[in-house]
This record gives sequence, C-alpha cells and structure tokens, in this order.
Amino acid sequence: MSAPIALRGWSLWRARLFATPLDSAISIAVLLGLGVILQPLLIWAIANASWSGSTRADCSPGGACWVFIKARFGQFMYGFYPEPERWRPNLFGALVLTWGLAVLMRGTPRRGLIALVGVIVLPFLGLWLLYGGFGLREIETRQWGGLMLTLVLTYYAALIALPLAVILALGRRSRLPFLRLLSIIFIEFWRGVPILTVIFLASLLLPLIMPSGVGVDRLARAIIGLGLVIAAYMAEAFRGGLQAVPGGQAEASAALGLGHWRTTAFIILPQATRIALPALTNETIALLKNTSLVLVVSIFDLLGIAQAALADPTWVGFQVEAYVFAGAIYWVLCWALSALGLLLEARMAEGRERT
Amino acid sequence: MKTRVRFAAAFVAAMTLPAGAQSLAPSPTLDAVRARGHLECGVHIGLPGFSFANDRGEWAGLDVDFCRGLAAAIFGDPTKVRYTPTTVQQRWAVLQSGQVDLLSRNTTITFSRNATLGVNFVGINFYEGQTFIVRRAARVTKPAELDGATVCVAAGSTEERQAADWFAERNLKVTIINFQRNDDAISAYDSGRCDAYTAGVGALAGQRAKLRAPNDHVVMTELISNDPQGPVTRWGDERWQAIVRWTLNGMIAAENLGVTSANVDQMRTTSRNAEIRRLLGADGNFGQMLGLGNDWMVNVIKAVGNYGESYERTVGRGSALGLERGVNQLWTKGGLLFTPPFQ
Repeated sequence: MSAPIALRGWSLWRARLFATPLDSAISIAVLLGLGVILQPLLIWAIANASWSGSTRADCSPGGACWVFIKARFGQFMYGFYPEPERWRPNLFGALVLTWGLAVLMRGTPRRGLIALVGVIVLPFLGLWLLYGGFGLREIETRQWGGLMLTLVLTYYAALIALPLAVILALGRRSRLPFLRLLSIIFIEFWRGVPILTVIFLASLLLPLIMPSGVGVDRLARAIIGLGLVIAAYMAEAFRGGLQAVPGGQAEASAALGLGHWRTTAFIILPQATRIALPALTNETIALLKNTSLVLVVSIFDLLGIAQAALADPTWVGFQVEAYVFAGAIYWVLCWALSALGLLLEARMAEGRERT
Repeated sequence: MKTRVRFAAAFVAAMTLPAGAQSLAPSPTLDAVRARGHLECGVHIGLPGFSFANDRGEWAGLDVDFCRGLAAAIFGDPTKVRYTPTTVQQRWAVLQSGQVDLLSRNTTITFSRNATLGVNFVGINFYEGQTFIVRRAARVTKPAELDGATVCVAAGSTEERQAADWFAERNLKVTIINFQRNDDAISAYDSGRCDAYTAGVGALAGQRAKLRAPNDHVVMTELISNDPQGPVTRWGDERWQAIVRWTLNGMIAAENLGVTSANVDQMRTTSRNAEIRRLLGADGNFGQMLGLGNDWMVNVIKAVGNYGESYERTVGRGSALGLERGVNQLWTKGGLLFTPPFQ
C-alpha cells in the first residue's frame, strides 16, 4: 500500500471517478441518470415556472407556480401574526442570532458571561416580544404560525429538554435508589409513548380533566409535551456521554480536593457533553422535524400553514409547490443545525488535541 | 323608589307577555360570550369553500360565515369572533371542554353522536351527500344515467361501498375501478381513465378546482347518500341552542322572504309582510326573547347576507367552487332547506 497522495481539484475528481474504464463508465451512467432525473425537475421548478403576478391566472401550466408562494409568503413565515407587529419575531430572531454569533466568535470579550445571560434572559424576552403585554399589543398564540412557530417550538422545547436531560441522566446514574428509580420511570415512560399521543393527550385530555377556567395555552401544552419526550431521549444521549468518561477522571478530581458537585459540573459534564454532542445534534434535528406533529391539534406550523393555504379555493391544487417550498426550508434548517453541531464538535475537540 | 318602579314594570310585562316567555332561564354561554367580548367558534382546519384562511389571513367560507353571522347577532359586529381550527379527532373534545361556544365545521348529524356525545345539532346548513363528477361533454346529469360507465374510487372507502350498493340495487352495470388513494383516483379520472369520480358533493366541488380544466367538469346535484351537516352546541344550555338555531333559521327565512344584505334596511322600514317585520324587529320583540337586541337579524343579514347570498359567495357560483344549489335550495324552490315560521 502506497501512502495516499494529496490530490486537489480536477485531478482529485479524476482519480475518484475516472480511475479505470469501468469507473468511468459507472460515473458517466450515474451522471446521466442524475441528469435524466434533474432535468424535468429544473424545467418545472425554474425554466417553466411562473414568478410574477398575484393570482392563479398568472400561472402557466407545465411549470411551478411560485406566485402562490409569493402571495402566501407572509403566512408561510409568520402564520396569522398581524403584519404591523411582525417586527417583534424578527427582532427576537435577530437577537438570538446575534447572541449565538457573539458566543461562537473567539474575539468576543466576556464570552462566558454573555452566554449565561443569553440563556437566562432571552427566553423571557422572547416570550414578551412574541406574546406582548407590558406595553406591547397582546398577540394570542393561535395567531402565531408558519416558520416562526416551527422555530419557537424548537427553541422552547429544546430549552426545556436540555437541562431536564442533564438532570435525568445524572439521576439515572445516581447512587440514591429513589432518585435513580424516579429518573428511570420518567425516561422510560416518556420514551415509550409516541410523541403524537403526547401532543394529542396534552391538547385534548388536559382541558377535560382540569377545572374549568384554568386554561393552559394550547401552544404551551404542545411545547411542554414535546420538551418532555425529547428530554427523555436526550437524557439517554447524555448518559452515554457520562458512561464514556473514564472513572479515573472523577478519582483524580477528588484527589485534587474537588467535591461531588464541582467534579460533576467542571470535570465530568464538559467531557460527557463533548462525547454526547453528535447524538444531541441528532435529537435536536429530530425535534425540529417532530414539531410538525402539532398539526394534529390544529396548530399551524410551517407544514400546517402550507396545508391551510391549499384549502383556499383560490390556490387549491398547488400542493407540490407548497410541499417543495416547506421541504426546502426544513432541509436548510436541519442542515444549519447539523453544521452548528459539527462546529461545536470541532471547538470542543481543540482542548483534547493539545494534550 | 326606583326598585319599586322597576318591579311594577316587570309585573306589567309579566302580565302582558305570553305565558312561558318570562320563565326562560339565562344562558350561561351567552353571558360568557358577552363577558369575553367575542364568540369562540370551532371551525374546520381547512376545507375549500367551507372553512379556510384567505391570503390576508382572514377565515372565510360557508361555515365561517355562520360564525360571523352569530357574532353579528350577539354583538352587532361580525368581527367579534375568534376561530379555533379543529381536526376530526379534536372537534368533540374542544366543544365538550368549553374551549369553543359552538362547532361550525362540516360535521355530519347522526343519531349516535347526538345520543352519546353530549352534543346538540341545532340545524342543517349544508345537505352533504355522495355524488359524482363527470365531464360536461358526456351530458350526464343524474347518477342513474351512469349505466355502462366506469367510476374511479379509493379502495376500501365508504364511497366505494355506497356506490357499489347503489348501482347494484338499481341493476345498473357500472364498472368500479379501485385506486390506492383518493388523489390517485381523481388524477386517473382527470386523465380519462374513468367517466366519473365519486365523493361528497362539498369535497368534489373543492377537488374540481384541482383538475386541469375545471370548467369541463360538472358535479351532479343529486345525492346518493344523506349526510346533513350543521352547527353543534353542548348539552345543558337550551337558551344558547335557541339562539344558534334561530340565527340559522333566520338566514334561511330571510332568503325565502326576499330579504338581502342590500335591501334589509329598506325592508325593515317599509315592508308590510308581518313575518318580515317580526324577523327584522320592526314588530314584536323576537330578539329580546332570545336575550339579544331586536335588530339581531338585521345585523346578521348586513354582515353575511341571507343563506343564499352566503352560499353563492362561499361555495356557489360566486366562488371558485361553483357549486349549484341542488338540494341546498329552499323548500319552496324544490330543495330541502327549511325553516319553521317566525311567529
């Protein structure tokens, strides 16, 4: 075996795809196949597509009707959130993004403090901005929808799930039998119930059992339900991480004089998180996609609003456009989450390479 | 002093009103609606023509119109209503738990639902039923004329069984072609594989718009099944049921009496027809008997029009669905739509 030669650009592709005549034949066949599949798709989505106009009459047959998406774009993004107030979700989104970038950038002063403050303050700030009250117009959650709602569901459910997952994972490895049993029961219960059932029960059964007048918001119920199920899954990812940290780490920490909590917080958890990160990214992506299940309780997330648009007699029959558009957004979001996960993994690995 | 006058007035009123009118219990639902400041209406999550959100994010449709009309009857303002979209699985629980004041969402009225679910069907606002869509060029107008035709259906559906039974009973030779899903069946019909496709009349009207040339197809108006639909309320508030029932009846009566959103004000002042005068509050106090203002029906008709206007605008000829009136025509014009008198 010769050592691999560093290849770049065209030579790399030639070496990979056209090394032998057989390789070349297979590559050409695959490329041709792709062309056969992609060509009609591109013709439909771009070449023959209708882009301008405002009604279904502006759409030519044989191509995609992006006019439909254009007419409904506001709803796809914000649901029925009133137009003059849409700066509020925009501002909240911008704040979260800025915070995330600031925390990721190395040059930011006091990164740790910013990270901590953001984790604690942003959720409440978001709640105020989105829902209103205290000087802002109140916008009921039934008016929230579209992409904004998908992101809100993911953000808040993850916010419930992550800390709960750490506690459950630690609880399951605890030496106190009661705590361990409690964690096991919780994890096994929520992991054993389909998310659809949880959302359904939270939305339908809870209001029937609770005394009248005590109403928990429909959306809040869905978020809590999602958060609990995902927490159970994430707890197992964390447990995997915890078990992979060598026992010597805790012993060394104890020898240095650190107590149980400090050992857990500063020695064990950071290492466990690094190991569990790929699995956690996985769960977060699953969570993002699972948010579309809230459709069964008539909450219009991105997918729900796409389907709702199809019930408008003016736009009946454009389901392919609606689903292609929604699917593309989901794909971009999941890809972004996965890229974030890889970036975090690379960051966390730096500490190890130095040793 | 003041209380005594009020008492005396009440006494006089009690003596002059027909017996029974003064014993009406207050309606907890109406009180709750008034205190809240808006009506809570449970609607379909998305059904073309009946309940859908338009480009501006406003709910519209035949069932939604009824919610708006009811809000106008109570508040004089059709915008004082908020909608809770509901799925098939959710609808009963949402109504039973009090999250909505009524359902107005394409729900078929059946015996067992009425007897076991603790709900009341207060009237019929759409006579739904299975029928067929055919090509206009085929010049077929009734299901009985489909002898020798082929019909596309989704395998295992209620529609498949019902159509097969219906044709067998009448000794008609109709070939039924099964497809895995509804969408497959309708696209097979569109591509010429079958002469007809079958589904509920309301659903067919929506699906017609999906065809390549909607205007080349007609939905038959004769129905082979009976699935009437209408607003639903909870048990336990008879007064509220009366309000919902008579708001619907009022819309139907208005059409029968020729009262429209355009002429309602004029009718109220100039009409000499006794029933119109009672309906519009020019005579008597019918609105008050329900706990509403006497101009309640004026507000309803101004907001959404009479039944016919609402129908044509949402599912009829004024809409993309282009549905004929069919059985949803007044009883005086050969349909099934009926209201008891406003007397």
